[in-house]
Amino acid sequence: MDLSLETRQEDGHTIIEVGGEIDVYTAPKLRDKITELVSNGEYHLVIDMEKVDFLDSTGLGVLVGGLKKVRAHDGSMRLICNQERLLKIFRITGLAKVFAIHGSQADALAER
Amino acid sequence: MPSGSARTATGTTTGITVAICRDPALVRTVRLVVAAVARRTPRDEEFVEEVRLAVGEACALLVGPDASQAATAGPVEVSMRLEDRLRVVVRAAGTVAAEDDPTSDIDGIEPWALLRGLIEDFSISRDDGVTELSMSWPLG
Repeated sequence: MDLSLETRQEDGHTIIEVGGEIDVYTAPKLRDKITELVSNGEYHLVIDMEKVDFLDSTGLGVLVGGLKKVRAHDGSMRLICNQERLLKIFRITGLAKVFAIHGSQADALAER
Repeated sequence: MPSGSARTATGTTTGITVAICRDPALVRTVRLVVAAVARRTPRDEEFVEEVRLAVGEACALLVGPDASQAATAGPVEVSMRLEDRLRVVVRAAGTVAAEDDPTSDIDGIEPWALLRGLIEDFSISRDDGVTELSMSWPLG
């Protein structure tokens, strides 16, 4: 399965709904999307990973790179993920403490 | 091996070897094969997912992100054997940098962090210009 990316605006945030596999082949597409959004002045991003089937360290690296980009503009990046297999990857790499990870879009958008 | 190609071989009655060009698009093929091998064990789907992630990660590290090397660099070989344990060896000519390129914007992850965290039995060896990542899991 390839990577799908859909973006929309809600409550002052740009939500990127990601589907499929984020790996060494597809991660650059996500990186390019985040770069494009930040270039357009969209600094508050929510990455919805509910439909992500696979995530490797290249994908994690893109998320870390994106977080650095938005923080450089006093922005934010929140993740939506409640799949245990993906959460385990964030825990192993210590990134569960770096990212704000929420269980739903409502929770992510409710955080102030 | 031409770009975009993969080959498989059954070297022994208990093993399978997959060789791919260094094209990032082919790493997914390896993940599919190793998941099929892991499903032959008595372990559950969580185990299959762990093996798929670990071997995909190892393979991605040796393939690298640059598809332009596919035609010139040697292949990445993944050998899987079901014995007393599931044993997987991923090998390729060359070395893998221990740290990320500081100018890269795909960054922040120490290359071996995920593998070391995922696999109890994991080792890296470099010999004669070949890097070999070895890992194994109990079958029950």
